[in-house]
Amino acid sequence: MIVWAMPDAGDKTKENYASFISLFKQENPNIDIHVRVFTRNVLWRRMFTIKNPTYKEEVPDVVQIPHYWTALLVRQGVAENLSAMDPGLSLASCLPALKQHCYQPNTKEIYSYPWWFDVSALHYRADHLKEVTQNPEKDLATWSGLLKICKALCEKFKDVPGYYPMQNSDWRGSISMRNALPCVWGMGVDLLSRDLKNTEVGTRAFKEGLRDYIDLALKNYMPILRERGSLGTMASGKASLMISRKQGLRTFDARRGHQVRTVPVPMTGDTSAAYLSGMNLFINTLSQHKKEALDFIKFCARPDVQIKYASMIDTFPAFEEPFHTLLTSSTKRLHAYENIIATARTLPNITITGTIMEILKRILAVCAAQVVEGRFTQASLDRELDAASKEIENLLSIYEG
Amino acid sequence: MLDKKSYTLYKFHKQLNQSFQNKRDLLECALPVLRNLFKLDRIYFFDWQQERALLSLKMMCKKEYCMDMQEDISVISEPAFLKQLLQSGVAETTDLSYPAIYALVKWQRPSMELKNGEVHTFMQEKVGVLRLERFRANRTFTAQEKELIKALGQEISHNLRNTEIDQSKNLRLHVSTALNDLSTIFASSLRLNDGLELILKGVKKYFRFDRVRLYLTDPYGQAVKSVLGVDVSGEITEQKGTAISAHEQELTREVFDAGATYRSKGSVIYIPLKVQRNKVGFLAFDNILSRRQIGYLDFISLQQFASQMALAIDNARLFERVQELSNYDELTKLPVRRYFNEKFEEELYRSRRFNLTLSLMIMDIDWFKQINDNYGHQIGDWALQEVSKVIRTSLRQTDVPCRFGGDEMVLMFPRTTSDEAKIIARRLKERINNIILPTRYTEGKEVHLSISQGIASFPLDASNAEQLLEKADQALYVVKQNGRGTFASFREVADQVG
Repeated sequence: MIVWAMPDAGDKTKENYASFISLFKQENPNIDIHVRVFTRNVLWRRMFTIKNPTYKEEVPDVVQIPHYWTALLVRQGVAENLSAMDPGLSLASCLPALKQHCYQPNTKEIYSYPWWFDVSALHYRADHLKEVTQNPEKDLATWSGLLKICKALCEKFKDVPGYYPMQNSDWRGSISMRNALPCVWGMGVDLLSRDLKNTEVGTRAFKEGLRDYIDLALKNYMPILRERGSLGTMASGKASLMISRKQGLRTFDARRGHQVRTVPVPMTGDTSAAYLSGMNLFINTLSQHKKEALDFIKFCARPDVQIKYASMIDTFPAFEEPFHTLLTSSTKRLHAYENIIATARTLPNITITGTIMEILKRILAVCAAQVVEGRFTQASLDRELDAASKEIENLLSIYEG
Repeated sequence: MLDKKSYTLYKFHKQLNQSFQNKRDLLECALPVLRNLFKLDRIYFFDWQQERALLSLKMMCKKEYCMDMQEDISVISEPAFLKQLLQSGVAETTDLSYPAIYALVKWQRPSMELKNGEVHTFMQEKVGVLRLERFRANRTFTAQEKELIKALGQEISHNLRNTEIDQSKNLRLHVSTALNDLSTIFASSLRLNDGLELILKGVKKYFRFDRVRLYLTDPYGQAVKSVLGVDVSGEITEQKGTAISAHEQELTREVFDAGATYRSKGSVIYIPLKVQRNKVGFLAFDNILSRRQIGYLDFISLQQFASQMALAIDNARLFERVQELSNYDELTKLPVRRYFNEKFEEELYRSRRFNLTLSLMIMDIDWFKQINDNYGHQIGDWALQEVSKVIRTSLRQTDVPCRFGGDEMVLMFPRTTSDEAKIIARRLKERINNIILPTRYTEGKEVHLSISQGIASFPLDASNAEQLLEKADQALYVVKQNGRGTFASFREVADQVG
């Protein structure tokens, strides 16, 4: 059986999968299982070719996806109907915020099953922040407060070579749309209107929200397109803050030997919202090992396995019981997540969400290059977002009309 | 005797001396060898975007495995590093706190580009960068090691070139096989619509587009209408034959004027279907959902295929037109007697086989000879056209009318009893009674048209085609005898038949 997965634990991903799969193998010694790791980019492209593989191409049995891809895969006929495979399969104990992303939209047919989830937050080094503020939690409640703190940190650590107040948690070392989303939501807008019929990408509030996040790079508070891992890291003392998922702390060894505290992402406007990213598993319709694939998915959803894997990669279990067990049996920092999770939002489970994120990712990549080359202007960002808005409206008319 | 460097190179050459499917497979083989050879902790491969001075991480290799990775590093602010790397092929990093060096890898790959609507093929230079890291032992790289890394980098370059050429050849082979298969499917389809459906599904499957749509011009080559589409699920979607919008009209002109048109940053292409100067329609392929670019090879191949497809569609349409002309009466646009007789026999057979009823009606226009004599043949023809227009618009899809000769028309109603046929007869009578001859020909008099109709039913009145026609004709005769302008079934007037 072949599992396509994403790098859940940075460059330690393969070791993590190896020990996780050995757990499965202990209980299922007869199931041969291989994990292939692909970046999200590669996996996104493969979702469009998986249905018609050439004779040379590998056919996966189980695939890990961001949960908002479910609708697309159902639409393509790529994901197996899990409810039809096992009518007893239920989402009753799944966390409410994750349920809708397992179904074919507007039905109760399950096409993907939740594995784990994570939420974005602001992490900071208590020892660094103590140098510039008496009340970090209060000062970090708003975006303007965050920028002031960044400015003060720059001044405080001006003699530390390669210091940036904010560590960049984006895998590509670029400007991350997922990290920027809370800034956009804070302004009271979203990718799409509430009824999902129009886009808000071209609105003034959306542009301002995105600009707030880009400001971190523009003001040189966060390194972009630089050598990740050597510049501006919390572990090395060359950064003091990081907006990332919980998993980011482990990936970047940010906690190593230091007291790291977690607070909600500062509000850009009136709304506080953390970005919730869910990871689901689906079974490929072309799989020749569907029974084994379903066994694997059920194994991943078992409470004890949920806790083990979430602890391994430093995320949250997707089901109520293991989630509460993890939260209540753990450190003070985890308790901070209770409030953050309560405000968490995610992307809608519709056919075009993945495409919208691709469009915005490209725009931010252009912005990042412009920032580095000193060519960035608000007008160019506005132009890009206006064009994106038209493109998204076109996509809505084709796929969601 | 070989020195150490030559022997290492020879061994490396032997290890890479195999056929790789793509760059990824080659790197998965080469990077672990380098890692072991130089006792590295990690080795990376980057694509080099020269115009932006950007290193785009593609693969990382450590311990026992390689992994796809993503990271962009701009070196625009490091001119010294850049100069050293580009000039000497090897440079040490300034950013990292442990020993690491970068080595340039250059190779050529077959590429295509579009210039003035034409595709040019050429060998494009590609540049990659290896980064070798030793962070555990903190051991720096010696001058000999750097020289060896450069030499091994050249070996990788050589293999990358061969792999890319092989990959390009395989891709071409795949495309030509696909097109050959598609042509075979098209040629073996009996009906044009079936063929088009199969082709669109095939193109979507082989070329893996998100959507494929077909637009055809009307028979006069004027309006362009959508005909068929295959969506992201691979299923056919009927496009309802809607005419394209005004905005797209401009696009149509552009498509027909050019060989083909790229839109939306290469994720949509339009390819015209033309036979000489005759505009047949166009095909639209898009990847706007997946955001994948459509390659030039696909573009050229589909362009060639489109010319075959245009010819086939044009031929099929011509054949349909010829059939239409031979099966339909030009004046009334109703089927001719020969076509009707074929359908009549088929339907009668089916009715007999499945115990179904069938009714037949014969009708003619009352006083048609007088209309011709009094107002001229032109008005006679006009009356025939108006009556047949009512017939064409009043019948169900399964009913078959025909112009039997002169002003006589026969109508067949499958699965219909004589009582049901009388409902249709009443409808026709009322609608035709509303037709008034143009008053400029009738000296201002209001002359209404009327018809007489006789109905017979299978199996009640007759058991074969000939008898059924005869019975319907007898019923019509009685209606005429009784004053015209109405209808009757054979059963009702059987006692009046002589």
